[in-house]
Parts: sequence; C-alpha cells; structure tokens
Amino acid sequence: MLNYFLFLVISFVMFAIGAYGLLSKRNMIRMLLSAEVMFNSALLTLLVLAATADPIRGGVVALIAIGVSATEIGVMISVGILFFKVRGEIDVYKLSKSREQKSRRLKT
Amino acid sequence: MIDIIVFAILGTLAIAFSLLVVEHRSLVYGAISLGFLGIVNAALFALIGFTFIALFHLAVYVGAGVVFILFSVTMFREIPTVEIRVKRIALVIVTLIAISLAAIFWPYSNISVVAQSISYRELSKVFTEDYWFPFLVTTIALVTTLIEGITLARREAR
Repeated sequence: MLNYFLFLVISFVMFAIGAYGLLSKRNMIRMLLSAEVMFNSALLTLLVLAATADPIRGGVVALIAIGVSATEIGVMISVGILFFKVRGEIDVYKLSKSREQKSRRLKT
Repeated sequence: MIDIIVFAILGTLAIAFSLLVVEHRSLVYGAISLGFLGIVNAALFALIGFTFIALFHLAVYVGAGVVFILFSVTMFREIPTVEIRVKRIALVIVTLIAISLAAIFWPYSNISVVAQSISYRELSKVFTEDYWFPFLVTTIALVTTLIEGITLARREAR
C-alpha cells in the first residue's frame, strides 16, 4: 500500500522545479514549459487528495483542469508566435523593456 | 511490493523529466521531455486508480497540447537568451516553498492511498448535472482558442 505523502513529495519537488524555471528563465516558451511542469504537479496533488476524499468530484475537476490547460497552451503559443512575428524574439525581458520605452515616448 | 517499485521508478522519471524540461538547452528537447512527463504523470494517475483521467490526460494533454507546443517550437529560431542573475534567489524561494508545502501536509503522512474504483456512470452524471457550467465555459474557451489560433495564423507581418 502506497503512502499518501510519497505522492505529495514527488509533486512538491516537481512544483519546485517548475517554479524555479518560471522565476529564472527569460524565454517565453521556456516559461510556458515550466508552468506546465507546475500544472502537472498540481494535477497530481489534486488527484491524490481526491483519492482520499471524493474521487468522483476530484476526477471531474481534473478533467476540466486538463481542458483548461490545453486552452492555455493554445493561447500562450499563439501570443509567442505573434511576438516572434512582430519583434523577432521571445525574450520577455526585452519585450517589457521595449514596452517601457514606448510608454516613455508617448509621455514625452 | 510491486506497486512501491513501480511508484519509485515513475517518481524518479517524473523528477528527471521535470529537470530536463526546465534545464535542457534545446526548446525542442524540452517540449519532448514535457510529453514524457505527461506520460509518466498519466501512469501515476492510473496507479492511484484514476484510469479514465490518465487516458484523458494522454489524449488531450500529451496528444494535443504538448504535440502542439512541439510543432510550434520548431517554428521559432533558437535564441540563446542570457538568463537573469536571480538563479540563487529563485532557488532559495523555491526551496522555501517546497519545505513549507511539506510542513503543511506532514500531519497527513500516515494516510495510505488506496487505488480507487470509480463508476464512470456516476462520474458522467456528476459532470453533466453538477458541473455543466464549468464544462460549458471550458468548451467556449477551447473554441475561442481555436478562432484565435486561426486569426493569428492568417495575420500577415507588416
């Protein structure tokens, strides 16, 4: 019989790796991939908690979460492609810098 | 005993693929690792007894989402971006998050997970009767994403 906590440990480690990637990377797609690692960890936690409480409702919420995640991937990739088409890069640091410059120019 | 060995292998693979997703130099290999992470995660779901969710995860998340990322990533030129020097701070924050999460769930460490046998009839009943509105919103969001994808693909660069 498996211990509940073992699953959560795996999930926390995955969450920590994803959060590290999200905080330390500048590439938009890499940030999306890190967020997806965090999503996988959250889904595992949800199902482990649901297995000990209410499996049916937990399962339904997991199904909806997977659907929403697929949507999120679509939106983020589309935004990334658009940025790449317009600016030729997907470095979020440079993108935010160019936005600041633009707002400064508008003020003056 | 077998389930513990299977769990140990799956857990190790999950962590290894997570590290590859975040740290691999190539975006394409990162996306492929995310696909493998999805497969390993689905196997973990099946181990708890959520076989249907595991199949859905494989079909929708790995089969559609991750493959979409993979095909899109091949369109980008690989730019070696210089990372911000916040790696150490990020590492400290993340370690603190992991420790605090472990501390929160430590009281529940004696509970065992038993493989669930879910009635699909009941699941579909709950899905259509109690969760019809979130289902509707998710469907609309998916259709909107489809329209958005088509619009952006047809948009020409100025």
